[in-house]
Amino acid sequence: MRTRVGQDFATGLLFIVIGVGAILTIQFYDRLPMGIPQRPGTGVLPLILSWCLVGSGGLLIIKAVLAGDTALSRFAWRPLFLVTIAIIAFGLLVDGAGLVIAMVAALTLCALGTPETRWPEFAVFLVIMLAVGVGVFVWLLGMPIPIGPVRMPDWLSVILR
Amino acid sequence: MDLDSVFSNLALGFSVALSLKNLFWCLMGAMIGTAIGVLPGVGPVATMALLLPITYFLTPEGALIMLAGIYYGAQYGGSTTAILVNLPGEASSVVTALDGYEMAKQGRAGPALAIAALGSFFAGTVATFAIVLAAPPLTKLAQQFAPADYFSLMVLGLVLAVVMASGSIVKAMGMIFLGMLLGLIGTDVNTGNTRFTFGIGDLFDGIGFVIVAMGVFGIAEIIKNLGDPERRDLVSSKIEGLMPTKEDFLRCQWPVVRGTLIGGLLGILPGGGAVLGSFASYSLEKKLSATPEKFGKGMIEGVAGPEAANNAAAQTSFIPMLTLGIPSNAVMAMMIGGMMIHGIVPGPQVMDQKPELFWGMIVSMWLGNLMLVVLNLPLIGIWVKMLLVPYRLLAIAILFFCCIGVYSLNNLWSEVLFMAFFGVLGYAFVKLGCEPAPLLLGFLLGPLMEVYMRRAMLLSRGDPMVFLQRPLSLAFLIVSAVVLILVLLPNMRKAREEAFQE
Amino acid sequence: MHRRKFLGLAGATVAATAVPAAGTRAAGWPDKPVKLILPYAPGGATDLLARPWSEVLSKAFGQQFVLEHRGGAGGMIGTEAAAKAAPDGYTFLFTPNATMTVLPSLRKTPYDPIKSFEPVGRTGDLVCGFVIHPSVGVKNFKEMVEYAKKNPGKLSYGSAGLGTATQLRLEMLKFKAGIDILHVPYRGSADALNDLLPGNVHMMNEINVLPHVKAGKLILLNINHSERNPDFPDVPTLTEHGLKDADVPIWYSIWAPAGTPKEITTAFNAKLVEIAKTDDMKARMRAINSQVPVQTPDEMRDYLEADTKRNAELIKAANIKLE
Repeated sequence: MRTRVGQDFATGLLFIVIGVGAILTIQFYDRLPMGIPQRPGTGVLPLILSWCLVGSGGLLIIKAVLAGDTALSRFAWRPLFLVTIAIIAFGLLVDGAGLVIAMVAALTLCALGTPETRWPEFAVFLVIMLAVGVGVFVWLLGMPIPIGPVRMPDWLSVILR
Repeated sequence: MDLDSVFSNLALGFSVALSLKNLFWCLMGAMIGTAIGVLPGVGPVATMALLLPITYFLTPEGALIMLAGIYYGAQYGGSTTAILVNLPGEASSVVTALDGYEMAKQGRAGPALAIAALGSFFAGTVATFAIVLAAPPLTKLAQQFAPADYFSLMVLGLVLAVVMASGSIVKAMGMIFLGMLLGLIGTDVNTGNTRFTFGIGDLFDGIGFVIVAMGVFGIAEIIKNLGDPERRDLVSSKIEGLMPTKEDFLRCQWPVVRGTLIGGLLGILPGGGAVLGSFASYSLEKKLSATPEKFGKGMIEGVAGPEAANNAAAQTSFIPMLTLGIPSNAVMAMMIGGMMIHGIVPGPQVMDQKPELFWGMIVSMWLGNLMLVVLNLPLIGIWVKMLLVPYRLLAIAILFFCCIGVYSLNNLWSEVLFMAFFGVLGYAFVKLGCEPAPLLLGFLLGPLMEVYMRRAMLLSRGDPMVFLQRPLSLAFLIVSAVVLILVLLPNMRKAREEAFQE
Repeated sequence: MHRRKFLGLAGATVAATAVPAAGTRAAGWPDKPVKLILPYAPGGATDLLARPWSEVLSKAFGQQFVLEHRGGAGGMIGTEAAAKAAPDGYTFLFTPNATMTVLPSLRKTPYDPIKSFEPVGRTGDLVCGFVIHPSVGVKNFKEMVEYAKKNPGKLSYGSAGLGTATQLRLEMLKFKAGIDILHVPYRGSADALNDLLPGNVHMMNEINVLPHVKAGKLILLNINHSERNPDFPDVPTLTEHGLKDADVPIWYSIWAPAGTPKEITTAFNAKLVEIAKTDDMKARMRAINSQVPVQTPDEMRDYLEADTKRNAELIKAANIKLE
């Protein structure tokens, strides 16, 4: 399907937004020095790259408007949202609440991400995965990950304080 | 070097490597390596660091043989996860995932895994003999490279990444720029300034490659597949043959040879050259192919060439370490650590003073590669069966392995959150029709290029002409320009035709 | 690497046992594995020096001495982690002087070498000297200085990075000899050696060049130490070359987070001194061109202050900046 505002246009927009954001960060937030030719400063390459990114974005938009563009397909919001939440849950729970709780939370959230999940099957699978997680990673590989809850996670204590 | 001494050296090597103990350590190393290679996120460097203290109890030969085994074993294992579930845990397997995973989706995971193993074995064998026959001259070759040459070589690498992309050229270039920018996040090692960290402490050291790779490849793939009603366990529906067909072998023979050559040459460069091997091989095969448009859609050449290249590079990256005592990457630094534990000072004298160690290790690398093929070919059946697990469960397992893999890198929960971010970004790329491979190459090369650019400018006292005055650098830049023009011309013509049709 | 978890666990233990228990805890020290934080990536000089120590210490105390590499930001990240670790005698910092006596004079550091740490013991001085690539055409130190005087800025020197003692060694040479040499910072000394061997850069001063000196690929011009090196008996020291106090020592040491019980640091120091005097350790150290001076914690603190002062003066005089 051809339109004018599709994949290329959106990519161009994304590139420009990131590029401009990077330029502003370099100039006004990080305030990176540019140095002299013999000693190019910290800011030189990031600035060049940011402008190149903006340039590519601009070209993409021009191309999309002039030559047409492939239409965007629908986003799969449910898995996008739930998979992301599942990973975040794992990250927030793992070093405070321990591996078991983090895994139960993350894997259940991920299972919610698709209507195909059959819950009895998932329950069995979850137990197997817990055994793999604790058995392989903590016991066999000796990774220093707490299995059960040990303390309040860092981020929570920061919020509470 | 005359042939007699080659044979006597090889004989010495075999006598060391074939001792029962050393065979055992070689097997152990190869097996541990394969296991950690298959587990996403757990890399060879962390494993070797973990095992270094244990190696003290082995003989120096046993220790180095095992450590080396972990390294090339991990290369084998890494391609398995890349092919089966689109999870490149190592820089070298990013390229393998491109066509390997497509093959798996078409039910050809078996041939993909087999050709990866066999291609790697061929490359490993050739590279081992290259080390035996030509380690000193190859070292000299690597020493021809000055900072300006490295910079231009990396420019060429990035241009090749543009060739590699199957979609729009401008998009691929944008992805490279974006990848390089992402690679520059963190503390600038040269000056100590921080860039794009926004005061977040866990960003000071930059973002790990594994985090980005798992996000844009692994997580994005899960989101895409879970939301795609068309998918319906495409992978498990049809599995054709475990072994490559005769036609597959015929198609792969030259890609493997070319891949070995490219990878072997780039591998000796002690400064990130090895990363380029698989990327360069893929671009070359695509350029030479009669059907370049099929790359990225399950071409077996796209698995065979890069796999050969990365294994050849893995072997030849031992050359600077063995002949000069210079580590070309973190893995080689660990090897040097392993030598030092036994009181062996790495350097040019090792070859003369410890011939049994030097040659024993080289021969063991070949034996280890042989063991890996023997071990891995029967395993292919088991790996492929794994794909029969319904995707609704497989997705959950992949998600878990990504999470724990990333967490185990540094035990930082914040890095798991970064991966979530790159998962969303990766999914956006899927929807926008942007390929993530050029982004990852940019991510790897960006910081290196900056280092070499600065060093070249410093040594030339600020004269940018140095990039044109050095013959090697000039040659790389000319090749880059030619390749870029070759790629852009047909594309521009096509774009113009499309514009006229409107 | 496992800072957070460790802090959490350690914090909990300290809270549970309360302060007066520190003395009794010190008596049985160590009754669990001890962690040595190295502020650099594995495989470098720090790692090479720490490995024999961790092994010998593990044997001597009957508890594992585990090395934990926390590289990044010129050593600041690992040093900061050690400074903020629980002062219970189970986490120490194993570092070269760069993080303690060089970096704080160059930039704001998130730790204070004096206030954040208790001295424990010295673990080795690296003995090396300036080497030069034969393509330059000079044979000894005097010729190098003459060459540099005739061609200011033409020679180049590779250091292990900005703000490292290897950079200061060059600055000190330039300052004392009144010559100009281009400083090229690398990412670690292995990276620099890689450019030195083909002659892309001309000079270095780090132990990893010595095997190449022995192989005849590079020329050792002097020894950066108070006395000559037994491996290179013909190479004079800097003082013998007429440059007094021109050495910038590279010395390694172990530090405890401030507040660690004195009993523990004293016991640890005594053991380090005892080990340093053994022939086995002397031989191991010599294999990597290092030797271990013996100091009490108090002497070490004075040494730290003197080294800091000297480096600060040099940094000011030579106008060294991180940019």
